[in-house]
Amino acid sequence: MNILIRFNPARPKAGEEVRVQIVIQHPMEPGTRRDASGKLIPADHINELTVLFDGQPIATVKPGPGTSANPLFAFKMKAAKAGQIKVVAKDLTGKSGERTADLALA
Amino acid sequence: MNRRKFLKASAGALAASVVVGRVGSALAQGGLEGEDIANLEKGLQASLGKGYKDLVPSQAIKLTAPAIAESGANVPVEIEVNLPAEQVKAIHCFCDKNANPLLFSFQLLGGGVLPYYATRVRVAETAPVRAVVETKDGRLLVASQGVRVTVGGCG
Repeated sequence: MNILIRFNPARPKAGEEVRVQIVIQHPMEPGTRRDASGKLIPADHINELTVLFDGQPIATVKPGPGTSANPLFAFKMKAAKAGQIKVVAKDLTGKSGERTADLALA
Repeated sequence: MNRRKFLKASAGALAASVVVGRVGSALAQGGLEGEDIANLEKGLQASLGKGYKDLVPSQAIKLTAPAIAESGANVPVEIEVNLPAEQVKAIHCFCDKNANPLLFSFQLLGGGVLPYYATRVRVAETAPVRAVVETKDGRLLVASQGVRVTVGGCG
């Protein structure tokens, strides 16, 4: 699982709002689509995403089958201090991926 | 149709509208295209539990989704909640006509996370998208936006 994390603004001031954007490369099969021969493609989507800041969980997302392929997840937080954002994702087949990114203050 | 049959039929219709009544009244804001309250309720009940009927329409939720989406496979949805972050427990999102109405649940666990969430979702066919905000004191706030799709996102 290839995970990308981006901050906007890239280096926020202390106390400023920062938008954290996470993009994961994943087919997110909803389990309702059929392949060329008409067979159902089994569901395979990310069903759990945890965001940690300096090791402390700050948010979880439970995407259902109704989330697009190569999903984008964006949330906002107050940049009180510099630290490390860690994203852990799990899908229905048991595969998982994680990625860290350092949040630096201006 | 004679009078007796007519009365029977209208009594049945009335009873049905009373059953749908409570959830329906909170959600049916001006009759959005493609509403399917019965299917939506299944999803609401599965993810919100018992209190799923007590939805209150709220101006505090700003739900941004396109009125017309070319492809239902990739519909951008943005939810902004005008409430202090400490009051918001979770943001859920539903779509009436999807086989599984729950699109996602976003849980705030503190640490300065603000009640804002943006993602891209699949919409099976023209139907309203609903943002449901769960507050810490147990209230459920809702906002809806109709999304018309030309190509469905789940088939």
